[in-house]
Amino acid sequence: MSSITEPIVRQEGSQLVLGGMWRADVLHKLRQPLGDYRPDPSTDLHIDAAAIESLDSAGAWYISKALTRLQSSGITVRLEGLRDSHSSLIELVSSNALEAKDIPRERAFGFLEDVGRDALTTLNGYLAFLAFIGRLTMSSLRIALTPAQLRWSSVIKHIEEGGFDALPIIGLLTFLLGVVIAYQGGIALETYGASIYTADFVGLAMVRELSPLITAIIVAGRTGSAYTAQIATMKVTEEIDALRTMGISPLEELALPKFFALLVSLPLLTVFGDIMGLIGGMVMANSLLDVSFTIFVDRVTQTVTPTDVIVGIGKAPVFALMIAAVGCYQGFEVKAGAEQVGRQTTVSVVQAIFLVLVTDAIFSVIFSKLGI
Amino acid sequence: MAEEKVENLVEVRDVITRFGTKVVHDGVSFDIRRGEVFAVVGGSGSGKSTIMRHMVMLSQPTAGSIKAFDQEVTGLGEIESLSLRKRIGVMFQYGALFSDKSILENVGLPLREHTSLDSDFIDELAVIKLRLSNLDASVAPLMPSQLSGGMKKRAALARAIALDPELLVLDEPGSGLDPISARALDDLILQLKELLGLTIVMITHDMNSLLNVADRAVFLGRNIALACDTPEKLANSEFEEVAEFFAPARRQ
Repeated sequence: MSSITEPIVRQEGSQLVLGGMWRADVLHKLRQPLGDYRPDPSTDLHIDAAAIESLDSAGAWYISKALTRLQSSGITVRLEGLRDSHSSLIELVSSNALEAKDIPRERAFGFLEDVGRDALTTLNGYLAFLAFIGRLTMSSLRIALTPAQLRWSSVIKHIEEGGFDALPIIGLLTFLLGVVIAYQGGIALETYGASIYTADFVGLAMVRELSPLITAIIVAGRTGSAYTAQIATMKVTEEIDALRTMGISPLEELALPKFFALLVSLPLLTVFGDIMGLIGGMVMANSLLDVSFTIFVDRVTQTVTPTDVIVGIGKAPVFALMIAAVGCYQGFEVKAGAEQVGRQTTVSVVQAIFLVLVTDAIFSVIFSKLGI
Repeated sequence: MAEEKVENLVEVRDVITRFGTKVVHDGVSFDIRRGEVFAVVGGSGSGKSTIMRHMVMLSQPTAGSIKAFDQEVTGLGEIESLSLRKRIGVMFQYGALFSDKSILENVGLPLREHTSLDSDFIDELAVIKLRLSNLDASVAPLMPSQLSGGMKKRAALARAIALDPELLVLDEPGSGLDPISARALDDLILQLKELLGLTIVMITHDMNSLLNVADRAVFLGRNIALACDTPEKLANSEFEEVAEFFAPARRQ
């Protein structure tokens, strides 16, 4: 083995002598591109390649390209002294090669075309989502007529996973939210000597808006994503197709139980969030503003009417429908490939939270118009 | 003897592999010679894939030695193993094409990582490898999910030979292919061996492909390399399970 580990080009009179290693990992060490040599054009260029010690397909393609370039600039080139194995490699490579510009590539779209495509994709996505909701509604109605056909054990399991298991996180976060609101509102109210109204403030804010919202957002991130990931994985592993071939509707087997489970558990979680939020506010009001527990509870029962409670909890089933519908829909949307599962799960969470917030805003407008 | 002049590219010596209390290899030894097509066969669970994973430095045997290119591969760190890895190309059973990259990018990836060649040159080389693997250049912009099983295998082969490895390791090259595509792939492997001067190790269940392409084979059984020879000689092996496995070779 020689110690030369780079390609060598030496000019000897009208002759080029090639030597050394012509391999992919050392080709960049060439000082001057072979195709750039400009010998006397009046005589033929004689290239002696006998000293090439090792040649791989990258080196072969390099030499072949350089020869083409030299020849295209009107020089007659004679390549001599190649080993048999090397010359057959060069021949093999050049007979299978395509110039970079001829390689088929993904067509790059112009800006307008991109916008149009995206708009169409988005529109089709919405239409498909609507169609999915339609199918889901039809299935739900069918099940409502024959409730025995619902997978009750599956519903119970989903209530446990999506509802019961979420109690600690929702309890903690709504409690902290209550603390924060009582603190922020209490400071402002205290300057007017109206600390006692902290209870009104926390009560109304928690029960009407914050508890339903934060609960829905947590559930969208926690349960909606799990729905998407589960259905998407089943789709990739052809389990959905397996269900179809057995004459079992994937919608009834997979989507409906999740749907009903969330419809039950989200309002319940919201009630729990209401209570924990009020406790948080109460603790904060007591320690910071010296509003006693009895006074706090007294104020809350006076200001927060049953209507407020119902308005708050009433939003939960609507949020539940959205989270479940988006979660299941995005799962079924996966076509192929495991990497799509992750992407689709992200999309599902973002869309669910987006829809929840938009719906909440719409509710606020409606309620204020109605004067509720 | 003429045999002594043959250069061994890979030497497996007394390899012992245990997973917990389960013994997979209990002293496996065999040699792979430069320029041959070498098949690793054996029943399910005989440790074929495990010995391949040892060879390509994806896992470590419990004890024993594996030499590739006269260099011990067991116990090498990431940095020392890199120069060896560049000399070994691996084609996985299910292709293992990167699903977020086009076929052209898949084949070009090792070149992009390990050489300083310019981008167009790498693309051109990738197309050469694709065409050598009997794929049309029109598949270059496609994603792996758009290819059929046989095309995926050939694209995986193109990626495995991207760096012109001296040793090409194929895990179940014919599996999941119809017999005609499997034969075509066999022919392709033989052709590439001739054209690029490769040494090929293949793990296979497929007796037909073994008889078509393998110069020699090792039969793993009873936790050791039970027999290692040409398929014809293995057909007359003293071990019943080996002779039975290679019985089709007798008919030729």
